[in-house]
Order: sequence, then structure tokens, then C-alpha cells
Amino acid sequence: MRISEVVERTGLESLNAWEDADVSGVYISDMVSDIITGAESGCVLVTLQTHKSLIAAANLVDAALVVVTHGKRPGDDVVQLADKAGIALFSSPVDTWRYAVQLFELGMR
Amino acid sequence: MSPCAHRWSQTDIRSGYLVVEGCYHCGARSSFFSTEPVAPMDEYREGPHFWEYLAGYQAVTFNLRCEACGQTVDLGDMVGLQLSTCDDPQCEVGRLALELGKKASIYVALCADSSHASGRCVSDGGVVALTEYFNQRLRSGRRQIKVVPCKMCSDVDCCRGIVIADTGLTDF
Repeated sequence: MRISEVVERTGLESLNAWEDADVSGVYISDMVSDIITGAESGCVLVTLQTHKSLIAAANLVDAALVVVTHGKRPGDDVVQLADKAGIALFSSPVDTWRYAVQLFELGMR
Repeated sequence: MSPCAHRWSQTDIRSGYLVVEGCYHCGARSSFFSTEPVAPMDEYREGPHFWEYLAGYQAVTFNLRCEACGQTVDLGDMVGLQLSTCDDPQCEVGRLALELGKKASIYVALCADSSHASGRCVSDGGVVALTEYFNQRLRSGRRQIKVVPCKMCSDVDCCRGIVIADTGLTDF
């Protein structure tokens, strides 16, 4: 699956510039210490976290995209850091559980 | 040099707290990792230092193990990783960032003694293994991750960057 398909089929709002790429797997966590030990490269990283630490962790594990749920929006400094790191950053209006269901219904595991 | 082209994976993953202490006598700072159920916040005297609790973050530690040859690299001397945003040409890390360009991300491996008064820092073997490990995970060869020891910073306490830490979760 590609980032563009995930964006279109789960109704994501783009928060910065991004390039299309393959996506494989999903990781859900609000703790950056957990992300760096658990997330796999190319994953959709789903979180409520909006701290700059999130981008530092997502970049390290090479997440394909980061989805911030529940309509939360990171600050401009976080978006700028994501831009600099080349991390595709999105917002979903639904909560984490409902977003996880959407990804599952897309066939993502 | 090892003949093995290592394939690193994380091992010995432990959850706990990164505790930062300061000496109110001399201003030194120190960090350690605790696996206690609650982050220790005791004040105590150790030689010339009077340590008091400054901050605690939920954190994890891990070592690296090569899946091919079984070699394990102990990362017990590292207390955290910081994405460097330094571009100061007076700092060795900043100069490296300018040299490597935008496609490279530099992560500073932080040791427990930011003053480096003890002369110790994260081991060279640990830094090399971490760099290999994180680059092996990248999907594209267009990007690069470089891990450097914090002793490379001109002043690690003033270094510009983002520490990967779960800030605020223990502040209630």
C-alpha cells in the first residue's frame, strides 16, 4: 500500500509536504521510548503525541508517515522539524481506536 | 575488525526511568537509569557531591546483538539519544552536520556524565553499532543516520537538539 492510498481512504489531513512511498505495518504508541524499540521502518505511526520528540523518534525508526489522532495538531515548530526531517505528518479527526479500525479495514496488519 | 557484516537487532530491552540529578554544591549533573517501579528522588551525598533530583523520564534501555555472529554490544553507558539540530561551525557536531548535508540526521548518544569529568563517554563500539543498526533499518539509501558520542559536542549542556524522552509523564 502507498501513503496516498492511506491518506485518501482514511480521510487524513496533510500537515506538511510529503512524497508518496510504500507503507508496511502499523505501530500505535504515545511514548517515544516505546516507539524506538517497537516501531518498524515503513510503518504508519499512529499517536496522540505532538512533542518534537515524536519527530526525532519517527525519523530514527524511519516511519513512512505519522498520524496524529483525535484532531490534535502539532505546533508549527514540530511541523517545521518534520519538514526538515522529511517526515510526512497527518492529522485524523477520529480517535486512535477508530483510526486503528480504519487501517485494519484497509487490510493493514 | 570483525569479518562479519553485522545484522544488528535490539536485545535486553528494559523499561524504567532516566533520572537526572544535579549537585547543588558544584553544579555538576549526572544521569542514571532506574528500573525501580517509581523513579528515585532521594537526596544524598557522594564524595564531594550533594546530589538532588532534577527530572525523571520514562525510558528504555537496550543492547545490540548481531543476528549473524551473535556478538553483543553493551549500551549500558548510553542514557539517551538526541537528534542534533546544531549547525554551529565551532562545534564538531555542527561541522559534521554541515559536511553531511540535509540527507543525514545526526543523533548524539548521551552518556551519564555530561561534564565528561570522568573522561568516559559512550563507547566507540557502541556508537559504530548504533549507526550500523539504524542505517540497516532505513528503506532508502538516500537517507543516512549518523550516531556520535556526546563528547563530540563543544558543550553538551548547551547543545541544540531534541532528546528522545517521554517528557512530562512523571510530573504529576
